[in-house]
Amino acid sequence: MRWASKPVEPAYAEPDPADPDGQAMETTWFAKRPVSDVRPGDHAWLAYSGAEERDRVIGAFIREGLDNNEKVVYVTDTPAEGLPGMRARTSPDLDAFVESRQLRVIPREQACLDAGGRFVPEKMLETLAHEAGQTFGQGFRAVRLTTDHTWVMNAPGRADLAEMLGCEHRFGDTVSPSTMAMAICQVARRACRDDELAALRDTHEVLVEINPEYDDGILKIVRTFDPHGLRVEGELDDVRHAAFADRLGALVRSHHRIHLDLSRLGFIDLGGLRLLARHAAARGGDRTLVLDDLAPAVENIIEAVGWHRLPGIVPGRRRGRPEHAGGRARGTRGEGRCR
Amino acid sequence: MSSAPFTHRVLPYDGMDDYLAGAVPFLRAGVEAGDRVLAVTPLASRMLLRDALGTDTAAEIGFTDSAGWFAHPSRTLSDCLCEADAPAWNGRRLRLLAEPAWAARRPLEVLEWQRVEALVNIAFTGTGAAILCAYARTLPPGVIAASRRTHPEIVKGGAALANPLYTDPWAYSTQCDSAPLPAPPPGAETLPLDLPDLYWLRQYVADFARRTPLPHDDLQRLLVAVTEIVTNATRHGRPPIVLTMWADPEDRSLVCQVADGGRWPPGADLGLIPPRPGGPGRFGLWAVRLLCSGVQIRTGDRGTTVRLRLRLPDPADGAAPAATATTVNTA
Repeated sequence: MRWASKPVEPAYAEPDPADPDGQAMETTWFAKRPVSDVRPGDHAWLAYSGAEERDRVIGAFIREGLDNNEKVVYVTDTPAEGLPGMRARTSPDLDAFVESRQLRVIPREQACLDAGGRFVPEKMLETLAHEAGQTFGQGFRAVRLTTDHTWVMNAPGRADLAEMLGCEHRFGDTVSPSTMAMAICQVARRACRDDELAALRDTHEVLVEINPEYDDGILKIVRTFDPHGLRVEGELDDVRHAAFADRLGALVRSHHRIHLDLSRLGFIDLGGLRLLARHAAARGGDRTLVLDDLAPAVENIIEAVGWHRLPGIVPGRRRGRPEHAGGRARGTRGEGRCR
Repeated sequence: MSSAPFTHRVLPYDGMDDYLAGAVPFLRAGVEAGDRVLAVTPLASRMLLRDALGTDTAAEIGFTDSAGWFAHPSRTLSDCLCEADAPAWNGRRLRLLAEPAWAARRPLEVLEWQRVEALVNIAFTGTGAAILCAYARTLPPGVIAASRRTHPEIVKGGAALANPLYTDPWAYSTQCDSAPLPAPPPGAETLPLDLPDLYWLRQYVADFARRTPLPHDDLQRLLVAVTEIVTNATRHGRPPIVLTMWADPEDRSLVCQVADGGRWPPGADLGLIPPRPGGPGRFGLWAVRLLCSGVQIRTGDRGTTVRLRLRLPDPADGAAPAATATTVNTA
């Protein structure tokens, strides 16, 4: 294709052996980026767990493109004002963007279906290439492409997985070397079997996620949707307690469990543990705060203090292993025990 | 909760006959009363006790080796208190025969174990536990003398008598901290802390610790402890706050000292008594004590000094984990 391209450079990558997007049996290498860090050449994957997650990721993807004089191409039957994250009152005036062709909302029939309503990968690739090819000529500095594959995977005459994978590979081969195109392929996590999800994911080099709630280079807090909670990375100490307490307090409290993914938390101070304990106590009843994937360094500290002194807080999923039955460890680590 | 009053008695003994004459009736009475009976002793005493009690009675008693049980003053106090409090026992009284391991203790450790003996009298109030501590007369005179000041009652000829030398536990504890701390050695590294972000403090401490054989888990504990102390000093103390670190070959430990210009108010919580479990109470200084091998606190007109000590692996053990294999999680 005739897209502007760049030399291939090694992406910042990380191992993601237990990503819930699919049970990869071996370590695969992905770059994981918040949506605001998606850049030209990224062929990114979003397996969303629900409308809120999709709205917040795709909404930001669209809005930032429109704000930055970048073209946004969305293949969908939903009208512009119904696009993810566009219903808020703060949304831009979409009509003007549609008018200027900066926002292209292309119905599926026109973009990728044959006369019989069947998904045709070649047609999709051509449509996207065509739109991308016009970007510079139309005066835009880059192009953002996105579509939701959920319908393809779910439609009565659903696409063959192999066909989809081939389409994704070819699309990826086109986007990756580009210096002006970036794409997010979306799918509802629950619409696919785990193995299909993993296979589709593996055709992408970048996993896109919601922008962090907080990131000062030392502590990073990211909302998680499935399970409901936060991922806390880096180091949590007194300077950052308020930021963490705010984000924790803002989570929907009605959920029976709030999960904190602590797999990348390298340090928590005693004040941080007190904060967790206070939050758990304020939730009351049998609602628990579940600490998932505790790094050994942090688990060591909690065990020194004693789980029994942190009522309402339970260890959850362990790295590479499923969550304990009921989300709670029994035996020596359970509540009410001395050690 | 048991209606029996909490008791903490010392059993001084000359030779094993004397020991058995005091310990056996204590344990037997516990078994007969349906208490939870625990005997924490060296192996030799356990063998003698089993013989003297007979198989049936001995089977009702939990025997534990004192070397492992008396591992760490604050942890042992905390675990034992939790055991005495445990609701799972439906009010069955904890009855404990304790024969602390005094041999091979460094002076600082001996001091802390003696302090624990005193604090037991405060911490266990209301638990109904019965604790009998056996002290051989062959122990160092200082150890014997301290035992007379830390136990409200003394067992003589099978009877418990009030101990006239018993000292108020808080007064005793204050005396433990009366000697001034020796000055840091000349080679100690000093870092004035004027940065509000403790992230950089932890980097500094970790860098220093990596030059010692301190195991990674202990480094993590030290980082949590020093963060807590500096957070306290920043919030409640006065500048200048100064961190000093050195390795103490005599105590075979890594020492991390935080000094500030403030003075703690009289009666300030030194974290010596475990908070009761079940609530998100305060566990700052108390947790710091659990995380470190030892904590020394001095506060006065010239400011406040907190010394955190982390035991370094004994080279004689030959199994010291390599410090090079560790990293601090900063990713």
